[in-house]
Parts: sequence; structure tokens; C-alpha cells
Amino acid sequence: MKENVVIIGGGVAGMEAARQLLFLGYNPIVVEQQDHLGGHVSQWNRLFPDMASAQDLVRHMGEEIVDANIFLETKVNFINRLREGYLVMLSNGVSVACRAILIASGFRLFDATRKEEYGYGVYDHVITNADLENWFNGNADSRIPAAPKSVGFVHCVGSRDLKAGNSQCSKVCCMTAVKQAIEMKEHFPDARIYCFYMDLRLFGKKYEDFYINAQQEHGVQFIRGRISEVGETLDGRLQVKAEDTLSGKPLRAQLDLLVLMAGMVCNPDAAELARMARLEVDSDGFLRSADNIAGIVGSNRPGIFYAGACTGTKTVPETLAEARSAALDIHRFIQGK
Amino acid sequence: MTDFGFTLSRSSALDLTKADTRLYERLCSLSPDARTCMGCGSCSATCTAGPYNGMSLRKVILGLQRGQDVRPMLKGCMLCGKCTMVCPRGINTRQLILNLCRIYD
Amino acid sequence: MIERFSSGFHPFVLPFLAGMIFVLGYCVYGIVRILFQLSGEDRKKFLVSLVTPKTFVKNIRDIFCDCLLHVKLWKRNRLLGYMHSSIAFGWFMIILLGHIEVMLFLPERIHLFYYPIFFNFFVAEADSTIQGSLLFFLMDFFLLVILSGIGLAMVKRVRSRLFGMRRTPRPSLLNQIGLYSLWAIFPLRLLAESFTAHISGGSFLTIPANWVFRQFLGNDLNMLPTWWAYSIALGVFMSVLPFTRYMHIPAEMMLIPMRNAGLKVRNARKGFARVQVYACPNCGVCIDACPMSVDKANLKDCTVYLTRQLRRGNERRIAEISDKCLLCGKCEAVCQVGVEGPKLRVLNRAERKYAVKADYSDIPTGTLAGAAEGGKVLYYSGCMSQLVPSIGRSMESLFRKAGVDFCWMDRDGGVCCGRPMLTAGRLEEAREIVRKNTEIILQSGADTMVVSCPICYKMFTEEYSLPGIRVVHYVHYMEELLEQGRLVPRRGDLCYVYHDPCELGRGCGIYEEPRRLLGRLSSIAEAEKNRAESVCCGGSLGSLSLSFAKREKITRAALDNLYTSKADAIATACPLCTATFARYADRPVRDLAEIVDLYTDGKLKPDTI
Repeated sequence: MKENVVIIGGGVAGMEAARQLLFLGYNPIVVEQQDHLGGHVSQWNRLFPDMASAQDLVRHMGEEIVDANIFLETKVNFINRLREGYLVMLSNGVSVACRAILIASGFRLFDATRKEEYGYGVYDHVITNADLENWFNGNADSRIPAAPKSVGFVHCVGSRDLKAGNSQCSKVCCMTAVKQAIEMKEHFPDARIYCFYMDLRLFGKKYEDFYINAQQEHGVQFIRGRISEVGETLDGRLQVKAEDTLSGKPLRAQLDLLVLMAGMVCNPDAAELARMARLEVDSDGFLRSADNIAGIVGSNRPGIFYAGACTGTKTVPETLAEARSAALDIHRFIQGK
Repeated sequence: MTDFGFTLSRSSALDLTKADTRLYERLCSLSPDARTCMGCGSCSATCTAGPYNGMSLRKVILGLQRGQDVRPMLKGCMLCGKCTMVCPRGINTRQLILNLCRIYD
Repeated sequence: MIERFSSGFHPFVLPFLAGMIFVLGYCVYGIVRILFQLSGEDRKKFLVSLVTPKTFVKNIRDIFCDCLLHVKLWKRNRLLGYMHSSIAFGWFMIILLGHIEVMLFLPERIHLFYYPIFFNFFVAEADSTIQGSLLFFLMDFFLLVILSGIGLAMVKRVRSRLFGMRRTPRPSLLNQIGLYSLWAIFPLRLLAESFTAHISGGSFLTIPANWVFRQFLGNDLNMLPTWWAYSIALGVFMSVLPFTRYMHIPAEMMLIPMRNAGLKVRNARKGFARVQVYACPNCGVCIDACPMSVDKANLKDCTVYLTRQLRRGNERRIAEISDKCLLCGKCEAVCQVGVEGPKLRVLNRAERKYAVKADYSDIPTGTLAGAAEGGKVLYYSGCMSQLVPSIGRSMESLFRKAGVDFCWMDRDGGVCCGRPMLTAGRLEEAREIVRKNTEIILQSGADTMVVSCPICYKMFTEEYSLPGIRVVHYVHYMEELLEQGRLVPRRGDLCYVYHDPCELGRGCGIYEEPRRLLGRLSSIAEAEKNRAESVCCGGSLGSLSLSFAKREKITRAALDNLYTSKADAIATACPLCTATFARYADRPVRDLAEIVDLYTDGKLKPDTI
């Protein structure tokens, strides 16, 4: 009989870990709240830096874990500590005894309605990065005009913002904004595209190339200034106010579409899991790793492991690497018994 | 010394080593959160007084760090508090401005 | 009744006499000083009001109700009300009955003002009369009432929660002396009167006590020491009174006529402000009321501590307490004597000197001229509304639906109303802003000005003079549009809880209109604390020093209060409250304008008001 490993969260972290654990001879049980696997990635269109299809990635990963036990639309009701290992009770009535649990509960996208001043949900042409990806995926969105003359991207919406309750940098939004700016320019070659940023944080492989490409090939304008309020002109266009901090002047721009780069924030469900399994939560609301250098996938409880964005903001490749690392650590933990 | 007959015009460069930052340090002792400004410009963008007289709290803080006179900008502030509302670093900007108005002499 | 001493004097009255003369002298000096501190105009107004029959009657009535019966306290908590009124009213009755006794039996002694207090010592009962026994009965009755009050006061010291108070202020040493001497006065009086009851006569309390004492003491040796002790307790209480919270007794009797005369606090330290500071009874009702008290670090920053520090002259603490306050006005709303905590703070802020003076000469005032031409309605949304775009957008939509010809004065940025500057204590700067706005508004040619922000509304109604222009709050305006049938309501399915913004509720007294408006459109629920007791959202511009992080606790406490209503969504009428709540709320937060816009249709019949 194969040893059970409960994986909480069926996003790319959970899927990758399940794939590796299957390979190592375990019986992974993936618990996913939604009705599909792949989490946020499954809602995305293309992934930087190679513009690979997010759907293909999720599909391939899904094909490789068909042998795993996958419970969709299922939640964890509670986790009981046993003398050796844990008993995980699921909302579908199944309870699983296991020696190791992998938490891959991921992140939440910041709820942009909380930034009242940006008028998400108030103005007709304010959308988020996730809404835009959904549109790229071919779903209609009446908020996106047929031929916008100008499009603005607001970086750091709900991240690096104490007022939104998140002081951390969401890490991927700068690059996502550059990617989406380029994609928008490809859709609307005549549109002017502006990116309003506080600091550009383009640290990963090929990211800087994207930045250069956006400037050189697509003429995306980068404006260093955070948008502080969004209004409407008499003819119904959006009017944004920022300070062009490089020239030191207040700046106004009239836009036909404003895209808010909603940041990654901690998943409140992780706090619930932390309460059930007595895990430590960091000051930013994410789960606290055993060690931020050598033990990123470890927790403060034996047999409980982390992978992906439940411990902080992560890119997709980072998440996948952590998932593999966690699978290996779980293997060692179980074998070590 | 021989005078070569021409003088170098005074450099417009900021000299950080010579900048008088005493006022900035004094402000920081009263409003320690002044140090956390990251210059995003939210305050200036939203400022009610800004369009009339160029008030920019970002520039005020920066100017103090560089030892410049920022009084002309301060005069226009109406203390409406919008900057306090939008500051992503949670700086108590109204208290900062009031402290600054007091310590200038 | 016959006199026991032909001189009508005994040395034991001296401690009382000394204390009484001291306290009277102190009060007379204080009254004269305060009268001189008032401006000539205020002084005249005050003195005239004292002899105006209408205010005279009102003064007497208010002093009777507030100082003696403590009517407001009864409304807050019956036990607390009983405790205070039993002592105050009981004591008053004993003094009054004492005087009646003297006037009835020994009218020639009425000029000795210790006589009514120590009547029972000086007289012997020759024959019992109906009046005599009735008076003695009443004397004993009111003494019993006071003693029950003192008993409750002792219980309150250990169990303040029984009296509806979570926290009470910590008394200083002098206050403790005052307190214990006050507690001692009445049991000692009972003892003293009991020891002499077989001579002077007594009633249901003193006669049995006298009988008991005589059973095992059997002599009169204890008589004099207890009368001495009673007099000393009175003397000690009177002589520490000016330095303790009990100064509120005479000060409140001064405050009530001054308030009835329509006087306003003009100086942070002098005149009316001084009277208010001394009138604070240190009851501590404001501690629990203060929204900042959710954080232990702020416990000593509420009004009771402000008045204490003002009496002590501790400038560092006065500045600290003045700056921290949110100016939500709740302490004033719950205050039993009417100490204007927020106003005192603003005036203390105004004492400060600033090296950099404001200069608004760059602001052009001609920009709006002709903008409202044809349209007679000017809409002023205020600075903060620009950060909550749903308000302005809903107002625009409502105006259009109702066919109102309007001009949005500060659509693209405007001039602040000046209230934030005013509450920061920079009064001259605030007046300058008021002048600028007045010029702009008067030039617009509008006859109605709709204001949606309560902070601005309070400022416009109190500090502006706009002849020919009707300043109307948007709640009233929207109600009018509904009543005129220009907006047609549809019922929404959500249940809302209405949060009273400080500036609109306690600030302008507008409590019922928003509820009425909301009630026409959806079902409403009430939070545990509402109306005048509503909890500040924590976003207030009133506070100068509260950091963002420290405000979070206050906001969460205010939200918890709103959640007690179990409503689906929160409604409010202030952009600052909306923006502050939206940060942490677990359910939608909407401004009234947004809700009205959501649940009304236009009549598509454009005509003018």
C-alpha cells in the first residue's frame, strides 16, 4: 500500500508536487477548493518570459497526475495531530491519515475595490490585470473599448502599500505589466500605453530584455509616479492624476482604459490552516518558513511542508522549483522514519 | 596666484557633502516617519494646493534632505489631509507639515 | 426648642467655619477673576442674562436638574444617577431643612451660618410639636438617603462596572483626601446627632441609635468629640475642595448660567474655558466613550485628563492630549456637565506659534464666474470625495436623473473648505481659506449649494457667510428630490446599517434624516452604539498625532460595533468614513449618494426646482 501525502491546494505548486510524489512512489491526495486544477495560472493567458501558454502548462501537468487522488470543490475541515502523523478531515466526508502534509494554498489577488480612489467597480473602464488576462483568453469584457487611444497600467495596487495592509512587494506585477503592455500594444497598435510605477523591479532572467523591448519596439512610456486618484472628464474618459516625479510636475492623463496591477496578497485560508495545524504566520500574513534561506519549504511542525506562494510572493518557476524541493523533502522525511 | 582671466560659473550640481541637513534631521526627530518617504509622488499628485502654488510634499522632503529652502511650497498647504490618505507608507503628513512650519526659523 | 448655650457658640464649629470662609473666599475670588477674563461684550451678556427673567428661571431649573438631581446621569445609568443625586440632593435638603428649623424655632440665630449645620448640638427639645417631629423625620430620612449614596460610592470604587463604567480615572492624593473626608462627613453627622438625640430630639434613625449608645456607654462624654470630628471632617473637605475635583460643585453652578447666557469658549485657558475645566467632575464617563480607549496607550488622553492637566498647567501633556484627539465629540456628547473637550483642544492647538505662515494669494477666485450660469445649483464635493469617486459620480447621476441644472464646483480640484486647518488650530489660515472660497462661491451666481461631505457642511454652515445662497446637505437635498417625485424609489434587497459620521451626527445634529432616506430604499438595522453614541471610524482629520498604524485598532472597533447590527452592508455619509472603513470592512461600504443612485429612477421630466 502506497503512503498517503495530503496536498492542500491544486494550483501549479500542488500539481507539480503531486507529479514528483507519484514518481517517488507515494499516493498524493490533492485537495482543491475550485472546480478545476491550476489555480491562478489556469486563468492566465501567456506566461513571461517566453510567452508560453498558461493553459498548455496546466494541461500538461494535469495529464501527468491522473493517477493521483484529486478532490475538487473540497475543503479541509480540520487537521488532527495523531501520535504519528496527522488526520486530515475533508469537507466531502473523506478523512485521510498521513505522515506528511504539503500546504500549497497559494495567494489571493488583492481586491481592487478596496482602493476606493482608483474607482474599480465605479468607473466603466477600470479593470485589473486578472480581468485583462481573462480577456486575452478570449472572454468578452465590455469594459475594454473596441479601439482605445490610450491605456494606462498602474503598478503596485495593494502591494507596497500600508494603507492596503500589505507592505510587501508583489514581485511579479512589474514584469506582468510590461508583458501586458506589450500585448495591449500588439492588440491596439495605435494606442498609447503608459506604465505608472514607483520603482521598476525587473530582476529575473530576460525581464530586462522585455523592458527594453517594450520601450524600443512598442513605445511604451514609463512614468515614475504613483497614480493617486482617478476621475472622469466631462466626455466620460478617465482622467488620472499622478506626479511625474522625474520632472517634478503634477501630471494628468486622459485614458480609455486603466489596468490595475493588483498584487499578490496572503490567502486568508492559510491563516485558517495555520490555526488548525498550529503553524506560524509571518508579519505579512503569509506562512512562515522554517528558514528563509535553507528551509523555505519547511514549517515549524514536523511533517508539514510548504510550496509556492503560501509563504510569500513567487513567480511560476520559483513555485515549481519549490514544489519539487518539497516533494524531495517529504520523501526524505518519510524515509527517515 | 595668476588670475587666468575667467571664472568658473558656480556649479549647479548638488553637493551632498555640503548640504545643510540640520533642518531635515530636526524634522525627523519630531516626525520620524519622514524618513520612510520613497518619493512615489502620491501626495503631490493628490495635493489640493499643488495646482495653485506647486506644493509638493515629496519635493519638500527631498529639498530638506538636500538642504534647500522649501518654505515657498509650504505656504500653500491647506492641511486638507488628502496626502495622509494616499501615502502608501502611512506617513502622518499633516503632522509632518505642522512640525516643519514650527521649526523653520 | 430652647437654646442650650446662651452665646450661641462653641469652639468645635471653628474647623467648619475656617473651611467655609476659605472656600467662599476662594470662589468669590475665582468668580471675579473669571468675570474679568471675559471680553467686555461677553461679560455684559452674562450679567444681563442673570437678571433676565427667562434665563433666570432656566438657570434655576438647570442647576436643580443637573447639579442636584443629576437627571442626565439617571438616563445613563440608574445606579450611578441615584448615587450622585442621593448625595447632592440629600445634602442640599439637609442644609435647607436646617435653615428651616432655625427660622422656625430660633429665628434670631439665622445670621450665624454654622447654626443650621450644627442645630442639634445647640438646642434642647422642650416639647415635641408636629412640625418639629416632621422636620426631624425629614432630616433623618435625607441623612439615610445620603448614607445609602455614600455606601454605593464605596461599592463603585471596587466594582465600577455595576455602575456602567468600565474605567474610572485614578484620583490624585488631594482628591483622595477630599473623597475620604466627604465619605466621613455623613456617618459622623449621624453619630454626633445620635449622641445628642436624647437632648435635642431626633427621629427614626437618631433616637434608636441614641438608645443603643446609652445602653452601653451611659454617659455624654462622647458627645463633644463626635461633634468636633464632624466639624473637622467638614472643615477638611471645604479646605481641600478648591484643589480637588469637588470644585466642580461651585464651578458647575457658574457654568450653567454662562452656557445659558450663550457664551462661547474663546480662549483656551481663560474665562469660560476655565469654568469648564473646573466644572469637570472627573467622573470618567468620557474614558469609556473615547474611541481611542481601545488602545491602552491612549487611556490618559481623554477629556477628563485634559481638564486635569489644564488645572495642573502641565504644558507638555496638554499639547500631547490636544494633538492626539480625533475631535469626534463623543466625550462632549456623554459629558454630564457639558465640558467641550474638542473645542478646548482646538483652542489649545491655536496657542501654538508657527514660523511659516500660509499664503493663498496664488489661488485665483474668478475661475467659476459664469460656470453656474443657467444652473442655479452648485455642488461642492470636498477634497476627500475625490478619493472616493463613487460619491461624486453618484451625485452627478442623481442630478441628471432628477433633471437638475448643476455645476460641480470642485470637479477637477478646488479649494479646501478650511475645516482641517481650523481644527488644527490655525485659525487665521482657516479664515483666509474661507475668504477665498466665499469669493468663488459668491461669483458663481448660484442660489443653492449642495454639500456632500459632512466636514465641509459643518464648516459652511458655521464659519461661512454666503448671503443669498442656501447651503444644503445632500441628505436633505436627496430627500427633497424624492418628495418632489423627481426621483422615484425602488426598494433594494440589502439590509444596511447606518454609521453616523462624527461631523454630521454630533457635529451638525443630523441623525434621523439619513435613516429616513435609507429606510425608503432598503431595510435598515441599528448598531449597538448609534446616533450620538456612534463610534468614530478612526480616520478623522481631527487628530494631528495619531499614526496610521494606531488608527487601525480604532477603525476595527468601530466596525465591530457596526457588525453587531448583522446588516449586509454599511451605509455612511462621509467620504472619510467610507475610505477608512473600506480598508478593513468584511462587507460593502457605501455612501448614501451611491445607495440612493442605485435604488432610484429618474422621472425623465426635466424641470427646475
